Amino acid sequence: MSGPAREHRVGQAFVALADTLVDDYDIIDLLDQLVGHCVDLLDADAAGLLLADGGGQLRLVAASSEDAQTTELLQLQADEGPCLESYRTVGQVRVPDLAEMSARWPVFAAAVQRAGAFRSVHAIPLRLRGQAIGALNLFHGVPGALPEADLALGQALADVATIGILSERAVRRGEVLTEQLQTALNSRVVVEQAKGVIAQRLGLPMDAAFDRLRRFARARNLRLAEVARRVVAGELDPAGLGSRGSRSPQ
Amino acid sequence: MAELGTVTRALLGMVRDGDDERALAGRICRACVDGLDVDGAAISLFTAHDSRQTLWATDAVAELLEELQFALGQGACMEAATTGRPVLVADVHRPADTVRWPIFAAAVVDQTPVRALFALPLQWGAVNLGVLDLYRATPGGLSDPQWRDARGAVDTAALMILGLRTDPDAGVDGAGGWLDHTTGHRAEIHQATGMVLAQLGIGPTDALARLRGHAFAHQRPLIDVARDVVARRMVFTEDMI
Repeated sequence: MSGPAREHRVGQAFVALADTLVDDYDIIDLLDQLVGHCVDLLDADAAGLLLADGGGQLRLVAASSEDAQTTELLQLQADEGPCLESYRTVGQVRVPDLAEMSARWPVFAAAVQRAGAFRSVHAIPLRLRGQAIGALNLFHGVPGALPEADLALGQALADVATIGILSERAVRRGEVLTEQLQTALNSRVVVEQAKGVIAQRLGLPMDAAFDRLRRFARARNLRLAEVARRVVAGELDPAGLGSRGSRSPQ
Repeated sequence: MAELGTVTRALLGMVRDGDDERALAGRICRACVDGLDVDGAAISLFTAHDSRQTLWATDAVAELLEELQFALGQGACMEAATTGRPVLVADVHRPADTVRWPIFAAAVVDQTPVRALFALPLQWGAVNLGVLDLYRATPGGLSDPQWRDARGAVDTAALMILGLRTDPDAGVDGAGGWLDHTTGHRAEIHQATGMVLAQLGIGPTDALARLRGHAFAHQRPLIDVARDVVARRMVFTEDMI
């Protein structure tokens, strides 16, 4: 991507994110859009976002791709990997090649190797008052460290995620963080359950099921987590979510 | 930062001995009072839309808090249960903190020594199991590490209660155990729960119970069974175990 073209898209991305940060926005939806921007602006092949639960375990809340391998690579990092290190050290972690990955995190590196699609990984912390609440993970199909400017942009996107999680009323109250993190993590569980219901009922792969859910929520300006809850509770028939290509969100 | 809090650690260390929800709730409540800066705790369950029961309260004040909310139909715990979000009140004497349930707040001020109130939903996705209520006689929030601990504890407690409800052979030595904290949050488990729910036309708790039952009967890890379901290598039917 050339300089001016990218600058323009960076601007658009932040405007779009700012638009999302209005009253009563859905955290999962925001984070989902954010990982999409990461892939787009940082030329990543996949991106994911993990948040720490109350037990300090990293849990997956958003991924640019719903395929099993990417999900696995992200989930694995609850135990070891660049994300966990980024979270623990509250710093950026650059892993430009597979060899370095193997030396530091053998299990994670083996999984990356098996997946075959990625050659370098970066992790950027979601920072809050000198601590981390989670980490953003970028996967590239080519080896090499990201340029500083890209890392800075990645950090800016991670900061937007932190702001989004805290919301405007954030300020210094620990309890707000508690509320928001717990809600975000649980929303993700509902979304996963709803994806399963839709995949089963409509005979769709998981990513297509998620797509239906997302389109339906955005087209009607509903919260993703609420639509998901209704699907799981049987109040909303997956058949009523519409088909691919019906009513585009914008 | 990643260090486990006192209460979370205590809960994770609890050995499962039977399938009595009341006894489990008692142990969870006591661990909270021991490890957090609170004076009392209670767990109330929401079995269906209109049915609720207080499983355990550590003292008379904690019990009264639950009763007041059920009687008045409003309060921090009721709000946490219906919204699925934690409700944290640093001082019930400060009107700004209690605008959403003024009658309940007035009753608390009137009838109890309670100043701070924290209601944390026990939930697993779309499943609302109930609420863990904590109170303190002095105002103020909890420290950051304590909040983290409370979050970890309520999360663990939800999995423990869910474990009791969905385990096929509850309490048999070493056979049952809790729903594992790490695999309990894997995306595939939730996706498979959704798929089995649709396959059998049952609720999410029952769907998870069927997955766990199958895993146990065939001595396979739950995550493997979930992956088979997601990959459509396996479909649950009514008469299948």
